[in-house]
Amino acid sequence: MAEIACGARPTKDINAEIWRLIAAGDREIVVKQPGARHNLGVGLLEPVRIRFAGSVGYFCAGLIDGPRIDIDESAGWGLAESMMSGEVVVHGSAGNGAAAAIRGGTVVIHGDAAARLGVSMKGGTVLVAGNCGYMAGFMGQRGTLVVCGNAGDAFADSLYETICFVGGSIEGLGTDAVVEEPSQEDSTWLDSTLAQYLPGFSRRGNEFKKVVAGRKLWNFDKREWTVWQEAL
Amino acid sequence: MCGIVGFFAKDNQEAEVGRTIISMLRALGCRGPDSAGVALFGLPNDDRFVVRVKLGEGRDLESRTQRIASCLEMLPGCSHVSTNASYARFLTNGETDLLRVTSAVEAFDKDFEVVSAGHRLEIIKQTGSPDNLETTYRVSQFKGTHGLGHTRLSTESRVDLSHSQPFWSHGFPDLAIVHNGHITNYHQLRRVYEQRGVRFYTENDSEVIAIYLAEQLRQGASLQEALHRMLRDLDGSYSCLAATERQLGFVKDAFALKPLVMTETDDFVAVATEEIAIRAALPGLYSVREAQVREVRVWQK
Repeated sequence: MAEIACGARPTKDINAEIWRLIAAGDREIVVKQPGARHNLGVGLLEPVRIRFAGSVGYFCAGLIDGPRIDIDESAGWGLAESMMSGEVVVHGSAGNGAAAAIRGGTVVIHGDAAARLGVSMKGGTVLVAGNCGYMAGFMGQRGTLVVCGNAGDAFADSLYETICFVGGSIEGLGTDAVVEEPSQEDSTWLDSTLAQYLPGFSRRGNEFKKVVAGRKLWNFDKREWTVWQEAL
Repeated sequence: MCGIVGFFAKDNQEAEVGRTIISMLRALGCRGPDSAGVALFGLPNDDRFVVRVKLGEGRDLESRTQRIASCLEMLPGCSHVSTNASYARFLTNGETDLLRVTSAVEAFDKDFEVVSAGHRLEIIKQTGSPDNLETTYRVSQFKGTHGLGHTRLSTESRVDLSHSQPFWSHGFPDLAIVHNGHITNYHQLRRVYEQRGVRFYTENDSEVIAIYLAEQLRQGASLQEALHRMLRDLDGSYSCLAATERQLGFVKDAFALKPLVMTETDDFVAVATEEIAIRAALPGLYSVREAQVREVRVWQK
């Protein structure tokens, strides 16, 4: 296992060292005192394990394809943005726009997520143990968004085929969001996924609300003008 | 962009507020290279007000420094006059109406501007980096209870000392704000206030926040209520911190478009645009989270 002590080093140096260690064959790296620096661990394409022993700033683990990244404290804006595959686990809270536009992989947030969680997801799974903020799931195209606590206002607005699950209450549904009963298959999937990533979580899969697109906004129909007036 | 920070020591009356605020600001220097400023709350000056006056910018600062000393001698109840770089500072006794003090001082010279007044509030701001501010004014020496800081990236009005933040709410003792964002109904609000005779010193939209909050507090609202009303009356995207003699509060706009993170421990509260500022200034174990949409919090002594 390799270690990088950030100290007062510039971000460029730290990222270069991560790349150098990976190229040299290291498969486990601990980055100490990240100090909420921005742009750490972006664009990593190998199945390595990286642990940031502290908080990270904006855009951590963006555009990754394969690694497992652990963040001991909190993450700033744009966590794991556009990731292709891998796992990103935040042990604290995440800022705005976490897991935006991910195409695959899993993002786990043990604390709360702020506004615009998982917007425009194109695949993958997002799990939040706590609450999520305003506009989560906006325009999600594929993938699954699970919030174990409460969801903020305008939840799941203008969805395509992302499936959302909420364990607690929903402050307000977004346009065209529809609440359904989870199926047997959904609840089995939730039970096994939660057991894998959030083993301490006690709620059962069948206690979650399921939120999907009402499909009213998928095709424009002049006769449904009032739906569009509300949406826009 | 712009960076805002706030620090509030829960029990300590002589916390290193200046040092904490300036090291938080240094970490956000890249968010706002145009200007830097702080609003610090020191120890109480019994009944007296501490008044800080901008002497003007550019040339002949020396002659204005000499001039203000002789001017302030004529001001009744004025004592402890000192000058440093672009500012004069004095205490005033027996005067309760700060607008009267303000107009008396500003009548001496058109370049004089009262940038802060209150029992404990002191605003120090100038163009340039937080490092420059520290070099000129030794902000880190300041002891007190709480404070605000701002680094500015100008987007809508000119870059000079008066347009820098924090803003004092002219006439209302000890009320200061820092703001990151845009107030999109600024011109409408300004027109309304100007019709009521309120003087605006700058074209910076953040100034209207200070004036708005002062109006709410004058009407009897608590700071908590005033910040909630801001969500109803001020449009745009903003994260805003406000401080009074005994309080620190924040509000985050209805679209959550501007960043703001916070932490609270048994000893202190710290709020900043980015976590990097809190981690750089305050060692120890604590967790930081982003404020949620429309969230309002106020801490009080």
